Amino acid sequence: MMATFTRKNAWNNGGTFDNPDLLWYAKGVGVTQSLGLDNPNSWWFFAAIHGEYVNPNTPWYTDPPAFPDWGFIPAPPQVPTTPLPSQTLQGLYWDQCQHQSWYFAPWHRGYLLALEAQIRAAVVSLGGPADWALPYWNYFGPDDEYEIPPAFTQKTLPDGTTPNPLYVEARYGPRSDFNIFVPIPPVAETCEGNTIYTGSDAVTPAPGFGGPDTGFSHSGDTSGNLESNPHNQVHVYVGGNAPDNNTWGLMSDPGIAALDPIFYLHHSNIDRMWAAWNAIGNGNPTDTNWLNGPAAIGEREFAMPLPDGTSWVYTPADVNSLDQLDYTYDDLTAAVSPQPFNRLARRLNKLSAAPAAAGTAPGGNMAGGDDAELVGAHDGALQIKSSGARATVRLDSGVRGRVSASLANASETNLPDHVYLKLENVRGTRDSYILNVSVNQQRAGSVSLFGLRRASLKDGQHGGAGLTYVLDITNIIDNLFLDHALNADALDVRIVPHNAVPDSEEITVGRVSIYRQGHQ
Amino acid sequence: MRMSTRERARVNTLILLISAMTWMMLLVNPGSIMTLAHCPVTDAGASLVSFQMLLAMNPISSLTAGWALMLVAMMSPTLMAPIHHIRERSFKRRRARSVTLFVIGYAAIWMAAGGVLMAAMLLLSLLAPQSYLPAVVVGSIAFVWQCSPVKQRCLNRGHNHSELAAFGIAADLDALRFGITHGVWCVGSCWALMLFPMLLQQGHFAAMAVVTFVMTGERLEPPGTLSWRLRYPGKLMRMMVAQARIRLHRLPSGIRPSLR
Repeated sequence: MMATFTRKNAWNNGGTFDNPDLLWYAKGVGVTQSLGLDNPNSWWFFAAIHGEYVNPNTPWYTDPPAFPDWGFIPAPPQVPTTPLPSQTLQGLYWDQCQHQSWYFAPWHRGYLLALEAQIRAAVVSLGGPADWALPYWNYFGPDDEYEIPPAFTQKTLPDGTTPNPLYVEARYGPRSDFNIFVPIPPVAETCEGNTIYTGSDAVTPAPGFGGPDTGFSHSGDTSGNLESNPHNQVHVYVGGNAPDNNTWGLMSDPGIAALDPIFYLHHSNIDRMWAAWNAIGNGNPTDTNWLNGPAAIGEREFAMPLPDGTSWVYTPADVNSLDQLDYTYDDLTAAVSPQPFNRLARRLNKLSAAPAAAGTAPGGNMAGGDDAELVGAHDGALQIKSSGARATVRLDSGVRGRVSASLANASETNLPDHVYLKLENVRGTRDSYILNVSVNQQRAGSVSLFGLRRASLKDGQHGGAGLTYVLDITNIIDNLFLDHALNADALDVRIVPHNAVPDSEEITVGRVSIYRQGHQ
Repeated sequence: MRMSTRERARVNTLILLISAMTWMMLLVNPGSIMTLAHCPVTDAGASLVSFQMLLAMNPISSLTAGWALMLVAMMSPTLMAPIHHIRERSFKRRRARSVTLFVIGYAAIWMAAGGVLMAAMLLLSLLAPQSYLPAVVVGSIAFVWQCSPVKQRCLNRGHNHSELAAFGIAADLDALRFGITHGVWCVGSCWALMLFPMLLQQGHFAAMAVVTFVMTGERLEPPGTLSWRLRYPGKLMRMMVAQARIRLHRLPSGIRPSLR
């Protein structure tokens, strides 16, 4: 059966207002922006559902008031700060966003559907198409599609006079010059090659495609692979830092991100990537605690206001597939090459082990299997300044020997270890940085600090423990092993921010560590 | 890097077993260590003689042993998260050692607090022997404390699981320091709740069970805004209902009104 709603590429018709999806989106956003902050159908209310800095009685509101509190955001848009909705409405809807959790993908899917329903109602009220659907920005697309669709950079609508609701001032880009694009690489779609949602196997780095099982305490501090890259990285590259480096872009911080209309096109693409990942045969969790959502662990349910004034309460089970939701995408092609068993075979070949036969399963699900083991660490916090920081990560000889033995004895039935580098207890006062990390002069990857400010607040959701970032450095360790250089007592780790860090900002890494994980 | 689900379940089971076994010991009440003995002399009111008799009938060693058992029974379920944190951040060969040091630091704080709380218990028992008045007064203080922003601050700080050194004496000191810090915030959060059951003439164990439920439940709550409000283990209660309904296949999926 054909879906009623099809989300299409925002770059159709050159990504300009010649694309009717974008023109109607702009007009619909304009309608919802004309509604008050306390109206559950308004643009502002929906932004606060994701996260807000407008209620002064929250730990994340700045004291004394300053940016990024909503009253200090440069216009456009002119963000209202009053009237606040009732405490009941705030408690039901605001500050819901799910990050560093296996609920990341399903919560955002419902959030998009609800926002889309609001915009569609506005579009229809203006005489627009009843099947209007939210477009997506596929920054991995061909040609110039890594750039923001031009409709978002125009200050007026095609009539030349009406302000363009898609244009925001505080959108600065990777170079702080208002040139908005997504650098590819380091932003990548390699997570589409993962084969399990939560956990790890021989071709899926921890914590898995969709994120970690956050358990009964719901206390995750590590993003899943889809959330980590591309999601978090796109947020920070698009938002960026202001040219004077005193403030940052809306997209860079979860408490102001959903004020920027590009937010929903970015998340539409993330949702499309999840659907594409499912479409090639990868399954979502079947654990009842995932299917039933946070309500299963006693936390508040996912709830969204609908245009008719009702509340939509949903669970991950309700948004498990596109089929059950009556919408689809015009392109559900996943970027996966080569197939998992080929990637495993390639690694075994590299290690001079017997290659895996076609069809070999890429290892067990580590969420229910082997325990990860600390291999080494740099004891002592690092302060990240513009010039970066350097850490000598000392290795425990016994555990390092187990890694070497695992690589030396690797075979189809004795799968080699995964090795990870972790930046633990990262804390800071600004989210808008990408940290580029190398190990022994080999690039290990990069991490986006999206969400760091809130996670660092002592009375915030993470109790001030900050966030933890995991990078898969298996390939680097394989190279060291093959070069007979894995017998070193320490690894040289360098961490360099992509933009200058002002002296007024503090970014610290509590500990740099190395972990191994077997796959038996 | 989180421990595997299986490993976490194994550690949680061990902690719950230790708690359950200690509860059994408390229920048996060997040597009457869990109940304050009185006689006509101690019932006569506050005096040096009464105090000496109270101590003779309830030696410090028995009081201390009873307090230690109470701590193990009531507090160990609240320590699952920090123990997971230590195990995840430590070399495998050091895990037991680091957890032990954490527990030593944590227990030292609570034993020191226990000295003060037991002194308060003895004093109140002398001033109002065989009376429910001390329990009512302390229960009221516990209720006010439970609703206060200070309580929330203590709970929030208990969620701050910081970095731990991996090697040598620094690792030992960090584990010990983590236990002490966690203990300080835990005492700040729970001192009044712990004192309350000790003052009850009857219903001692039932009150301990309720307090254990409250303390375990409030550790599962996420950090919150510092404000005056009634704090109760709502999440734990909702979770128990939800998990029961899931197992009975009765948890309704979300109401799905039309999105069109």
